[in-house]
Parts: sequence; structure tokens; C-alpha cells
Amino acid sequence: MNDDSAYARDAGSPEVSGGDGVDRRGFLQCMAWAGTGLVWTVTGGVLSSRALSPASAAEPALDFSFVQISDTHIGFKGEANKDALGTFEQAIARIKALDPAPSFIVHTGDITHTQKAGAFDTVTEALKGTKAERVFYIPGENDVFADGGKEYLGRFGGPAGTGWQSFDYKGVHFIGLINVLNFKAGGLGNLGQTQLDWLKKDVERLTSSTPVVVFAHVPLWAVYPKWGWVTDDGEQALSYLKRFGSVTVLNGHIHQIMQKVEGNISFHTALSTAFPQPAPGVGEGPGPVKVPAEQLRSVLGLRDVSYVQGKSRLAIVDSTLA
Amino acid sequence: MNGKNRSNRARWLWRMAVLGTAAFAGLAVASWAAAGQSGPGTGEGLRVQPVAVTAQAGPRIEITKHKFSRPTLTVPAGTTVTWLNRDEDLHTVVSTTLAFKSAGLETDEAYSYKFAKPGVYEYFCTLHPLMTGKVIVK
Repeated sequence: MNDDSAYARDAGSPEVSGGDGVDRRGFLQCMAWAGTGLVWTVTGGVLSSRALSPASAAEPALDFSFVQISDTHIGFKGEANKDALGTFEQAIARIKALDPAPSFIVHTGDITHTQKAGAFDTVTEALKGTKAERVFYIPGENDVFADGGKEYLGRFGGPAGTGWQSFDYKGVHFIGLINVLNFKAGGLGNLGQTQLDWLKKDVERLTSSTPVVVFAHVPLWAVYPKWGWVTDDGEQALSYLKRFGSVTVLNGHIHQIMQKVEGNISFHTALSTAFPQPAPGVGEGPGPVKVPAEQLRSVLGLRDVSYVQGKSRLAIVDSTLA
Repeated sequence: MNGKNRSNRARWLWRMAVLGTAAFAGLAVASWAAAGQSGPGTGEGLRVQPVAVTAQAGPRIEITKHKFSRPTLTVPAGTTVTWLNRDEDLHTVVSTTLAFKSAGLETDEAYSYKFAKPGVYEYFCTLHPLMTGKVIVK
């Protein structure tokens, strides 16, 4: 089992205090709030009973928050929102008003609607205006369809040019995955073997008590396969994460808030800033939905995620633009 | 570009096309060249701006609610097929062998391709890969 090796490595570390009898299963709690006021609590556990990881024990308890923004679809000008740029700017204003300011921002894709010239710039420039230290991007299919990801990866692909990424922030391990490249006819979102291999290797070194946050555009779980709201090899990716006590998966793509908990993994899809989509299976198919003008801002929004170290609590607050 | 005007113009031009406007093939190519549209390998594919739509008198496949209206279409060789996006969403029409490839089609935008040789041409939308279709050329 994956966890055994991780535990064995930790046990050999001189920094492990060990033996304090803390049952992480008992206190690892992930809480989340939805914009509607719904509150639920999830108790997660790990496969072995152990103390905090050396890294967490050594660092002072530091809190931080980050923002998830998704599906800005810059360039969209359909009936569902004649002013998608305006609602995007409103979301930016909301981020700027957050106190305390988020440490960073994660954009979970469909940055642009049609990959038209200047669309990426609109988003990167606007997000630079926030107080966040950094912005992490992951593409949606609308960001890569026209050129197979050439422009996107050129801008955001990183040194390796692959676009997938991971980083550690104050004891939390963040992973950005790409599941919108190389769509095949009749297929669904997919990560591909190369990326799966990278992911497996990336998390191998982590202790099971490291909180993990994964972001990707298309849901990694089967929200509604009939509409393509699923990642073909998502299960494979999740199998590498099952040993962790706290895994939070943040997705976009479906332009609505949905949540699901499976073991220690909680899944959350986010609102768009551009237009809503129908609930799974409602109507003839996915796509922009036109709602009465006065309701539009109540179905668009963004997400603020707070992490309190030591308490292992991840608070997710979805707020609309209304 | 004003989207609303373009949409209205597109609808009007489509009506003209349906009424049997003559096929100005030469005009279409000229428009394409003038508009600087990059065609795929063969150069026969055409991401049609509304002005060029009138030139296509062949069969039409409409895209609505993430579906191709005629998922299987059989035509004689030499036929030009036109796809018209009637959806709010952005779509593409791309051959699985990349024999033809449209740009992103917004609402009321169209794409045409002339099928010169017999064969079975499977295609899909690269944004929504569950949207598939084929053109059988005899």
C-alpha cells in the first residue's frame, strides 16, 4: 500500500516526535460553506494513525486563503450574458475587496471563450491588479481548441511547457492538472499517461497527512458523463491521492456549484463569471442558459478558500455576484 | 464587430441562400482570401464569414443543443456541405483525420467544405467531443 512506504520514510526521520496518540482520523475535519448558506461537515481519515507531519509540526501555524475563479470566457457575447466582460470585472472588484487579501488566485480554465487575440491579456492584466502574490492558471477546452494549446502553453506552460504543475504553500500541496488537451471524437476529458505518471511521482514524496488541493478544468469525478462532464482517467489520478487525509478537488467547466465527498476527497465545481449552464440532464444539452437579467448575477460568482494550519480545516465559500 | 448586426445579417443571408441565390463560388474564395482566413491543408475548407455564406447552396447541417442536425449525411462527390452553428455555445467541425478543420464557430457562423473524393468522413466538435457526425461521399 502506498501509505506504508510514506509512513516508513517518516518513521525514519529524526524530526518525527511520534507516539502522542493523536488520531488524525478524529480531528481532520473539512468544512465547507456554499453561497446559499448550506453548511456541512466531513470527517476525513487517513490510513494510519499518526502525528502531524514533520513539516507541519516545524512550521508555525499560518493561515491563508486563496481565490478560485473559473470560466471567465472572455469574448463571450451570447444572449446568456451580453456583458461577460462586465461581470468578469465585477468578480475582479470582489477579489480586490477581500480582506484579508488572498495569497494567490487559481483560475480553473476557459479563461477565454474563443481564443481571440488579446483575450488572455484581458484576464492576466486584470488579475495582476489584485493583491494576490501569484495567479495559477489551468486551461479549459476553450483556451486550447484553436491551436492545440500552443498559445496557452507558450504563456502558462512553465519551463517544461507541459502546463501541469504543483507547488507547496504553507504546508499544503497544490496540484494543477490539464484534462482538456487532445480531445478525441466521442471521448471525454482526459489527463493522459504522461501526466498521470508525473502526478504519481509528484505525490510520492509527500506524507499522507499533507493536505492536498487539486485543481483542473473538467470535473475529475463523473458529474454527468452523458454531457462530457467527467474525466476519462480521473479515477486513476484520484487513486494516487486516496492515501491522503485531506484532498480537495476544485473544478470548473460546468458553471455551477456541485459538491461531492468520497472518502477523504471532497469535490467542488465552481460558478462561472460569464454565464450559467443547466443542471446535469436538465434540458436537451449543456451550454449557456439565459436567465432573466435581474437574476444573472445570482448565478455567477467566485470562490474563496481558507486554510487554517494545524486545524486542517478547509473552508470553502462560494459567493455570487448578486 | 457588432455581434447583433452580424447575427441579423447572417440570418438574412441565410434566407437569401435558401431562396436559391446563385452560387458565386469565385466570390466566396475571394472573400475568404480577402478576409485572411486560414484554410486547412486542402484549401477547400472555408470558415465562412456571413458575406460568403450566400455562395454555398449545398446541403446544410445545423448545430443546435450540442447536436448535429444530420449526424449522417450522404452526398455525391463534389458536394459542398455547410455547417451552421445555431447554438449559444462555441463549436467546431473537425475531421478525425484532419482532412478539414473549421475555426471556432460562434452563434450563426458557418463553415463549408467541398467533398471532392468519395469516402466516409467522420468529424466532431473539438470543444465537445461527444458531438460527432459523418459525411458519406459517394
